[in-house]
Amino acid sequence: MPSVIYHPAYQTYAFGAEHPFTPIRIEMLLDLLRVLGHSVQPIAPEPATRQDILSVHDEEYVRRVEALSAGEEVPDCAEYGLGTPDNPVFPGMDLAARWLVGGTLCAARLVCEQKEKRVLQLGGGLHHARRKNASGFCIYNDLAVATRYLIRQGLWVAYIDIDVHHSDGVQEILDNEEHVLTISFHESGRYLFPGTGEIHELGSGGGRGLKLNLPLEPFTEGESYLEVFEKIVPAALQRFGPGILLVQAGADAHYSDPLADLMLTTRDYELIFRRILEYAETYANGRVIFTLGGGYSLPAVPRVWAILYLLINDLPIVHDLPPDWVSKWSQRLGEKLPPTLHDPNPGYPDLPRRAEIAHHNRREADRLLEATSRFWE
Amino acid sequence: MLVRDIIKGPVIAIESKTTLEGAYRTMQEKRIRHLPILESGKLVGVVTDRDLRLATSVLSASPFPPGAQVAEVMSRSPKTADPWEPVEEAARTMRELKIGCLPVLEEDKLIGIITGIDLLDALIRLTGVDKPSSRLEVRLSDRPGELARLTSFMSHRDLNIHSILTYPEGPDRVTAVLRVGSIDNHSIAQALRRAEFEVLWPPEKPCLR
Repeated sequence: MPSVIYHPAYQTYAFGAEHPFTPIRIEMLLDLLRVLGHSVQPIAPEPATRQDILSVHDEEYVRRVEALSAGEEVPDCAEYGLGTPDNPVFPGMDLAARWLVGGTLCAARLVCEQKEKRVLQLGGGLHHARRKNASGFCIYNDLAVATRYLIRQGLWVAYIDIDVHHSDGVQEILDNEEHVLTISFHESGRYLFPGTGEIHELGSGGGRGLKLNLPLEPFTEGESYLEVFEKIVPAALQRFGPGILLVQAGADAHYSDPLADLMLTTRDYELIFRRILEYAETYANGRVIFTLGGGYSLPAVPRVWAILYLLINDLPIVHDLPPDWVSKWSQRLGEKLPPTLHDPNPGYPDLPRRAEIAHHNRREADRLLEATSRFWE
Repeated sequence: MLVRDIIKGPVIAIESKTTLEGAYRTMQEKRIRHLPILESGKLVGVVTDRDLRLATSVLSASPFPPGAQVAEVMSRSPKTADPWEPVEEAARTMRELKIGCLPVLEEDKLIGIITGIDLLDALIRLTGVDKPSSRLEVRLSDRPGELARLTSFMSHRDLNIHSILTYPEGPDRVTAVLRVGSIDNHSIAQALRRAEFEVLWPPEKPCLR
């Protein structure tokens, strides 16, 4: 039985009522799983220690998070990405962020101690946090901390990131790690935050050729996404030979996401999750950790992650949502939720340029494979 | 941004008596394409990898031997830049003269060199794409106060603008391209539209909500 990791203290990672990265997302998800009849009995992690955090972050940055967290004034905090509209300061932010890191670290430990093969961490995925600054709603980088731990335990880590934004923090911190493959699928950084994630960013030192980025055209749809995903991921995993997959399962590539421009449906997400689980079996002895991540469309995000939960647990994908759950949350959000677990079909009107976009993505995927192939020979 | 902000030291230069072979080797080893030439510490010329290749080409009527001195093939009295010159001035000079580099002199002393690559680096810094940020494109009327209206909108939302560039589009409009330090340029765009700005990017999603 796969493990779920969660602690109510995750809800303290909250930037305020108007902020898109809201703990309501997890509240909705847990509530949905409950009414679907799945009594989730999560394993409670410990918060990560200061020492854990310092395995990837600079002390000068951590000190500032701690000071702000305790209500102290830090005049230069904006230089560290703190106290900005994206990453506002809130009391207790240091501990709140360490809870999320602790969850991902707990997942890593469960797998290393051979207690578990599939783990779902219901939080974390803070892939923008840099060595010495907060960025894009992310304070501490749980993914990098867990990866460092896994490497120390002798596992080679294949990190797969399907959040709509480039995983720039993970890439920066692990750029020269020779035992870490990172693969990030994201909307092109030409317009979207953070602006990086180009094909030529291939890593440095011993990690050269192990940092794979596929920037996708705005308005990329599921069929094209799946095509390039299936072209790149198995090929890279086969050559790398990971001991474990670490997946950042951001849900913001959904077509209704208010922060970005990709067009995945819940059906596309189902297929992507199924592929990842298959790849874990084929290339990593079944070992896989999923974290959450971005995802800002409240009507869509709990459904995407409920599908992930069901698939990880080999449970059937139900058709209808419990009407009570739909009406309760429609009322609370002031927004109508669909009556089914999957999106209505079609979810959105036909888009222009579909073939052109697919062609562009295909060409980028080929270029990426070509660019990395010389490191694999 | 001034020339002195983008030059990288120390500058690699050679003496005019250096052989073509020696100059070529220096370029290969240092992975560069332009070399200032000195005589008694004074700049007398510039030689490029192209100069060397043309001078020694078998296609040339009388190719120079590898042992010839660079003084024979260099460009003499090259155009130079001043460290206090704005980078766009240097760019315009290079573009107009169709040259790939400008040695930088401070009181006759060679202190650096800028090439096309340095200008590309400058462009990257000027456009703000070297910082985590997202891009907004807004079309404005070309009249006083429009840009101020846009930037004060950003300021009210406490948004840090990493860079702002404008370029003319037709006789009475300009496009402003901004990189802002926020992950959420879509809600900024929506708010700008509500404030009756014409936002070109990000577009409104064609569906939903």
